Amino acid sequence: MSDQKSTARDSGTTLPKGNDTPLVKMVDIHKWFGKVCALRNIDFHVNRGEIVGLVGDNGAGKSTLIKILSGFHHADRGEIFFEGKKENINTPKIAKRLGIETVYQEQALAPHVSISRNVFMGREPTKSFGFMNRKMMDKESMGAITKLGLRIKDPEAAVEALSGGQRQGVAIARVMYFKAKLVILDEPTMALSVKESRQVMDFMQQLKAEGISVIFITHNIFHAFQAAERFFILSHGEALTDVKKKDTTIDHLIEFIVSGGQEME
Amino acid sequence: MQRFLNRILSYRASFTLIVFILLLIFFEIFSAEHSFFKPANLTAMARLAPDLGIVSLGVGTLMIAGEFDLSVSSTIPLCSFVFTKLLGWGFPLIAILFITIFTGALIGFSNGIMVVKTKLPSFIITLGTMLFWRGLVYAASRMMPIGIRSWLDFGTWLEKLFVGAIGGELPIQILWFIFFAIVLGAFVHFHRFGNWIFVTGDNETAARAMGINTGMVKTVCYVMVGVLCSFMGMMQNLRIESFAANQGVGFELKAIASSVVGGTALTGGIGSVLGIFLGTLTIQIIENGLILMGAPPFGISAFIGAAIVIFAILNVSIARKSGR
Repeated sequence: MSDQKSTARDSGTTLPKGNDTPLVKMVDIHKWFGKVCALRNIDFHVNRGEIVGLVGDNGAGKSTLIKILSGFHHADRGEIFFEGKKENINTPKIAKRLGIETVYQEQALAPHVSISRNVFMGREPTKSFGFMNRKMMDKESMGAITKLGLRIKDPEAAVEALSGGQRQGVAIARVMYFKAKLVILDEPTMALSVKESRQVMDFMQQLKAEGISVIFITHNIFHAFQAAERFFILSHGEALTDVKKKDTTIDHLIEFIVSGGQEME
Repeated sequence: MQRFLNRILSYRASFTLIVFILLLIFFEIFSAEHSFFKPANLTAMARLAPDLGIVSLGVGTLMIAGEFDLSVSSTIPLCSFVFTKLLGWGFPLIAILFITIFTGALIGFSNGIMVVKTKLPSFIITLGTMLFWRGLVYAASRMMPIGIRSWLDFGTWLEKLFVGAIGGELPIQILWFIFFAIVLGAFVHFHRFGNWIFVTGDNETAARAMGINTGMVKTVCYVMVGVLCSFMGMMQNLRIESFAANQGVGFELKAIASSVVGGTALTGGIGSVLGIFLGTLTIQIIENGLILMGAPPFGISAFIGAAIVIFAILNVSIARKSGR
């Protein structure tokens, strides 16, 4: 925590590439659910414009960690720093205000509601007395989706008419539109075809190109290796390793995970 | 042309509209002496259909939000009872109006809070409250009707407001029904709160993840149902000039039926106020039309039941065909 003081607060100007204040830094995180320890001694950080693969099997603590980051849970011990400043992320609203957005798999969109209404769910632009500005909603939602590279024409189409990859695209376009700084994708490629998975990974590169950081949660080490630049591996609530892609190989990583942390370069 | 048709038909209410028009034509042709479109019959329908209609608007909107309210059939007589008692105690009419509506709102609020806090299925909770309130009404009234004429002079503003006739002919009830349908329709389909109603019913987890207070949305809908029930309870009371303990019996299921016929999904997230409006009228004209055709009155339920099932099947198969 002491090195945090030396980087001080963000002076307000955007620092050029090569600045090494992490976008978010979680220090010494612990979380218990009753007697069960879900997370222990976790130090996790994400740099600006970085794609980090958060890998681990079921029960490793990945969901818990990102839920703490997005305000659904409260850490029992430890601190979170966002853009160099200590933050108490007590509710999802606070996380959103900071620019932390989560895209869940099945839980992001309302299937029978139109794309336009889905994108602006909870944040509908209004004219007087709270009546929605639907023209703006249609125009802006299509703009955001096209920017991501999706080819959808009709803002009134119901989301359930879209493919799995397109749906993830709508959810991601939504977080991009609302100026997310950190996007957490929770198992985005699960249940998607090869082509659709590739589409989602292209979306992640789009986010990076916009300067948005990504946490990509997955069990699928191959997808993680393709998409991410760095891997943070959890097992039974503890950090196994934090390694950059250029410092390791896929085979090394698999061996490491399978052996439970014994085998490392 | 094809795309235009597809677009129109993709609104679930449009199917109800088509059937509605067909039924009107059918009953006009087949009713005894073509009495369907006669003024006397239309006036009678305009006076009666809004009873079910006003309640269905509330119940259906709540269904879009993903919850049920079976207690409507008890809230109606309860509010009617409160109304009658207040008249008997000589309260000023304006106070009676507000107290009765407040009673309905309070009952709705209690339903909403229970459903939201316990997280139990609303079907069960409101089944319980339905029995509870009805029991109270039965006990308090000893199942006896109470006439209101002795406490209410003819021609008061209250009576004219609820059961008057415009130009001596057009029952004001149908105007109330249309008024509520327009107001609720604008709110549900064009206001941001209406969007919250839809997404709460369609995918509550997503709605909450986006910061929508789904508990508040549902509770507001329950209060709205309570208010509409109190309104209708007063309207019916003034029409029959008494409180009757069996007011509202069967409304809980009929209101759901009207909503389903109008294209509202039982699972939430799908429906339209226009559909609920037409669905109510459809059920009412089926009842009315069959009576005019001389169908055995006790057999009418069979036709209503068949209509509901047919509509439910048709709604689903259209939804499947258009890929929604």
